Amino acid sequence: MDSGTESASADAWDGEIETEIGHDEYDPYGTLTLIGIYFVIIALLWVFMYFVEFLGEGPTVM
Amino acid sequence: MNLFVDRYPEEAWIVRAALASSFLALFLGGIMGLIQGLHRTGFLQIVQDSTYYTVLTLHGVSMVLLFTIYFLVGFFQWAVTDSLDRSAEDIRFTKLWYFLMVAGTVMAAAAILGGFTDATNLEADVLYTFYAPLEAHPIFYIGLVTFVIGTWLAGVDWFRSWWAWKKEHPGERTPLRAFMVMTTMLMWYLATIGVAAAILFFILPWSLGLVDSVNSLLTRTLFWFFGHPVVYFWLMPAYMMWYVILPKLAGGRLFSDPLARIVFVLFLLLSVPTGIHHQYVDPGIAEGFKFVAMTNTMFLLLPSLLTAFTVVASMEHGARQRGGTGRLGWLRSLPWNKPAFTGMALAGLMFAAAGFSGMVNAGMNLNYVIHNTLWVPGHFHLTVGTAVALTFMASTYWFLPQITGNGVFSQRLGLVQVLLWFLGMVFMGNAMHRIGLAGEPRRTAEPFYDGVTFDTALGSISELHFQIALGSVILTVSLLLFMAHLFLSWFDVASNPAPDNGVIPEALSGPENAPIVLENLRLWTAIALVLILLTYALPLASIVSANGFFGSAGTLVGTAYEFAVSPFVGVVA
Ligand code: HEM
Ligand SMILES: [Cu+2]
Repeated sequence: MDSGTESASADAWDGEIETEIGHDEYDPYGTLTLIGIYFVIIALLWVFMYFVEFLGEGPTVM
Repeated sequence: MNLFVDRYPEEAWIVRAALASSFLALFLGGIMGLIQGLHRTGFLQIVQDSTYYTVLTLHGVSMVLLFTIYFLVGFFQWAVTDSLDRSAEDIRFTKLWYFLMVAGTVMAAAAILGGFTDATNLEADVLYTFYAPLEAHPIFYIGLVTFVIGTWLAGVDWFRSWWAWKKEHPGERTPLRAFMVMTTMLMWYLATIGVAAAILFFILPWSLGLVDSVNSLLTRTLFWFFGHPVVYFWLMPAYMMWYVILPKLAGGRLFSDPLARIVFVLFLLLSVPTGIHHQYVDPGIAEGFKFVAMTNTMFLLLPSLLTAFTVVASMEHGARQRGGTGRLGWLRSLPWNKPAFTGMALAGLMFAAAGFSGMVNAGMNLNYVIHNTLWVPGHFHLTVGTAVALTFMASTYWFLPQITGNGVFSQRLGLVQVLLWFLGMVFMGNAMHRIGLAGEPRRTAEPFYDGVTFDTALGSISELHFQIALGSVILTVSLLLFMAHLFLSWFDVASNPAPDNGVIPEALSGPENAPIVLENLRLWTAIALVLILLTYALPLASIVSANGFFGSAGTLVGTAYEFAVSPFVGVVA
C-alpha cells in the first residue's frame, strides 16, 4: 500500500503556505460569489416548488 | 512532542474509548441501514416484515443516539483538555461518566436485541423516537436514562475544568473550543429536561405497570421538546470541527472568532423552543402554537447561514494563502487530496442541499406535502447522516493520530472512502426525497398496497427504488472501508509516524474583538429558559387540561400523582 511519507502530513500548514495573508489584506469575494450562487439556486427551487405543488392542483399527501 | 496522547495520556484513553464505542455503533447501525434499504425496495428481504421495526429501532438508536453522542463526548473531552491545557480535575470522575454511558447502552441494547428472538420477553420495537403509545420493556428506558445521566456528568466534568481554569486566568477570554463545549452542554441540559420528564414521570411508570395509561400527546410533545435540539447536539460538534479544524486543514485561519461564538450562543437560545415544528399535523395543538414554533425555526436558520459564510471564508483564506486566485479559481487550490479536508467540505456541501429540504419541512403548509413520507429520512440522511456523520468520519483521519500516536494507514484509501459516502448519499438521499414527494411513506417494510399507486413527477418508482438500494450498497461499502481503515490505523499496521500537527492556528479576528457579554453564559441560559417558557407553557398546559396527565382513564397512583403535580403546572401556565 502507500508509504509512510505520504501519510505523514494531514494538513496544509506543514510547508504548503506560500504567502501569509493577514486580516486587513483579506477580502473574501470568492465566498461572496459562492453564497450568491447558493441563494440563486434556493430561490429557483422555491419557484419550482410553486409549480410542483400549487399549479399541479393534484391531491397532496394526507 | 506536541501530540495530545503524549501530553494527556489518561484523557486520551477516554477519548479513544468513546470513539471506539461510537464506531462500533456506526458499524452495527450501517448493517441495519443496508437491510432496510434493500428490504423496503424489494431487492432482498432477509428479515420478516414483522422484524423490520426491530431493525429500524436498532438503526435509529445506534446511529443518532450512540454513534453521534459517543463520538462527540470523546471529541469534547479532547477540546476541553487541549484548549484549556489542563488535565481533568479528577480522572476517576471522567471514567465514571463514560462507564455510566456504557452501562446505559448495554441495557438499552439488550432490550432492542431481544426483539430479534422469542426466547426472552425483552423487547423495544419503539423506534428511536420511543413515545407512547409504543411501549418497550422497562430496561430500555432505564438504559436510556442512565446513558443521558452519563452525558450530564460529562458536562459537569467539563464545567469543573472550565471553572478551575477561570480561577487561574481571571479576566481572560475562554478559549473558543471550550466556549463551544460549554454552550453546547448548556443547550443539552435544557433539551434533556423534556425527555427526562417524559420517561421518568410517564413512560417508565406506565411500562412498569404503575399506571394504566399515558397521555400520548403529552409524551410526544415532551419527546419533541428534546427531539429538535438533539439535532443540534449532533450538529454543534460538527460545526466546531468546521470552525476549528477545517480552516487549518485548508491552510488558513478561522475568519472570525467572535462570529463563531455568536453562532453558538444563538443555538443555545433557539434550539429548544422549536420542537413543535415536528408536530404540525398533530391534532390537539392549536395552530397558533405551531406558528410560533415555525417562526422560531426560521430564526434558527440564521446561525447556520452565518456558519456557511464564516466557514467558506476561512477555507478561501486557506486557498489564497496557498496561492489560489480568482473569483472561483481559488477552489482549485484547496487540498482535495486530503481525506479529512475533502470529507468535511463535501459534508458541508450536502448540508447546503439539506438546507433547502429543511426549509420545506419547516414551513407549516409545505410540511403537509412531505410529512411522514420518505422525504423526511431523505432530509436527515443529508444532515445527520452526512453533514454530521461524514464530518466525524473525515475528521478522524486528522484526529486519530492525536489520540493514538499512530499515523493514518493511507490517505488515498481515506479519500476513496469519503468520496464513496458522498456518492452513495447522492443516490439514496436524492431518491428518498423524490419518492417522498410521490407520497411513499417512511417506516414501512412493504410500501406497496393494492390499489395505491404513487405518481412521480420525474422518473419511475422502480427506478427510484433502484437508486435507494444502490445508494445503500455504496454507503455500506464506504462504511466497511472506513472500519477496515480505522482498524489498520489504530493498530498501526503500516507503522506510519503521527504528524506533529496538533496546533490550531489563531483566528484572523481574535477573541479580543468579541463583546464581553458573550462570556456571560448565565445570562444566555436565562434568556433561553424564558423563550422555552413562552413557547411551551401554554401548549403543555392545554394538552394536560384537555386529557389529564395520564389520559382520560386515571388510576389511583395516577390521580394521586396528578394531585401532587398539577398545582405546579397551574403556576407555570
Ligand atoms: C449505511 C448507511 C445508511 C443506510 C443504507 C441507511 C438507510 C436508511 C433507510 C432506508 C431508512 C428508512 C427506513 C424506513 O423509514 O423505512 C433509514 C432511516 C433512518 N436512518 Fe439511516 N441509513 C444509513 C446511515 C445513517 C446514518 C449515518 C444516520 C445518522 C447518523 C442514519 C439515521 C437514520 C435515522 C434516524 C432513520 C429513521 C429511523 C426511524 O424512522 O425511526 N442513517 N436509514
Ligand atoms: Cu426539528
